[in-house]
Amino acid sequence: MRTRILTFTLSIVICAAMHAELKWEQTTVELHPAATDKEAVGHFKYQNIGDKSVRFKSVHTSCGCTAAQTQKDEVPPGGKGEITATFKIGDRTGTQVKTVTVDTDDPVNATTVLTLKAVIPQELEINPTFVFWRQGDAATPKTIAIRAGKDFSVKQLKVTSSSRDFETKVEQTGNGQFKIDVQPHETSRNMAATLTIQPEGSPKTFYALARVTNAPAIQ
Amino acid sequence: MKFSLVRQALILFALALLPGIGQAIYFRDKVSWESPVPASEMVTVAQARAWGGNAIWIDARPDVEFEREHVPGAVLLNEDRWNELLPQFLATWSPEKRVVVYCSSQSCNASREVARRLRDEAQLKNVFVLQGGWEEWLEKK
Amino acid sequence: MKSASSILSFQSSTIPRFVRRIAEFIVGGIFIYAGVIKTLDPIGFASDIDNYKILPWTISVRLAFYLPWLEIFCGLALIARRLYLGGLSILTALASIFIIATIAAKIRGLDITCGCFGHASKNWSFTAHIALDLSVLAALIALCTASAYAETCPNRSG
Repeated sequence: MRTRILTFTLSIVICAAMHAELKWEQTTVELHPAATDKEAVGHFKYQNIGDKSVRFKSVHTSCGCTAAQTQKDEVPPGGKGEITATFKIGDRTGTQVKTVTVDTDDPVNATTVLTLKAVIPQELEINPTFVFWRQGDAATPKTIAIRAGKDFSVKQLKVTSSSRDFETKVEQTGNGQFKIDVQPHETSRNMAATLTIQPEGSPKTFYALARVTNAPAIQ
Repeated sequence: MKFSLVRQALILFALALLPGIGQAIYFRDKVSWESPVPASEMVTVAQARAWGGNAIWIDARPDVEFEREHVPGAVLLNEDRWNELLPQFLATWSPEKRVVVYCSSQSCNASREVARRLRDEAQLKNVFVLQGGWEEWLEKK
Repeated sequence: MKSASSILSFQSSTIPRFVRRIAEFIVGGIFIYAGVIKTLDPIGFASDIDNYKILPWTISVRLAFYLPWLEIFCGLALIARRLYLGGLSILTALASIFIIATIAAKIRGLDITCGCFGHASKNWSFTAHIALDLSVLAALIALCTASAYAETCPNRSG
């Protein structure tokens, strides 16, 4: 009888002492996708260093451009696994920070926020990407400044306009620096052109836009 | 000791005031002193509706959400297909229009990012972010 | 029964002067660094304070311009040993408030960047932030205690 009570008490004590704990190898992953990559994938490895299983209740991301998948729904004690976060780069630029919020049944650390940081290389900086004239304005040239991103070397640019209504002239202004002078033939009607900018030897194409609009200035 | 401590603390508080005020004066035009987001960026559903035909609505959400439902007359412009969608948006834009960008809710970042790119890259003026996003628009419909 | 002064004398006698000096340089340096980083991006810091949702924006934004300079001057006070007690007290109070506010925000489930080391530290984990903040607070308290002892027993200050 005493042995039974002792065993029972001991088991309660042991159960109380047992806990689940998910330990993450890292909660922030920084990725450096190549300029032509369409996706950046981050792997968040974990291990259950507790004595109880951990169950994933939900995994959701901060934006529709990032999808996160767990390999399994439940992690036994000692079990390892990873959550894979796939970030669709699309036409995004610069440093993108997306988060994945993981909810588990671990009473100590129920929620973990995983951070995926993707540094998207910027081959060209185009400033501005849009130039316009109002109808009736003087058809003077406007300048778009182009600069090669750091870590990139651009020796030559090819610029083509989708419309013959706009003239373009490209000039190199420095090491990796260019300017495009855009000029409409006239400003008496609505016109638009897409300027396709192709750095020499690069698989990637860039764009700028030109338009003649028809609105008066805002009062 | 206590008096000396208080006096020293007061001197330090006062010393820090000088460069603090100086820096605040330097930044006076760059900071929104009354509300967290610059007053010029956010716009309520009511304000945006009051602009009527002078407003162009931009939906910054993924294609699939736009196709499901969107503000009538809104143009899709998201970062997934920015290069393809930007010319289509600019074809409807003119300088006197006010651009109102929305995404799903107050907390989603896509509308702020799209607004930022329109201001910084395309150098458009009068670009606003809809307070509360699509959720707020639905509520006030 | 040990008296307060004997506890303090034990503490002070076991902390050599050069160790105190090193601690002053390190802690003062940390606060100067933290202050400088925040002066470079006061708007980012204002957002970080606002994220705690404790103070209204109008106060957060004004504090964002003031607090970094206070940290810098107090850090300098520690290193230069001028206005030392004032600086030490202010930094201890600031460190305590930061830690309490950070823990409170974490409990409330707020998604914050501590802002302690400017917007640049936003990718640090919560644990890393708290660990550093607590270490700094511990060092400050040790310096406070050593100073308090030196004041009460000047002939034994070391």
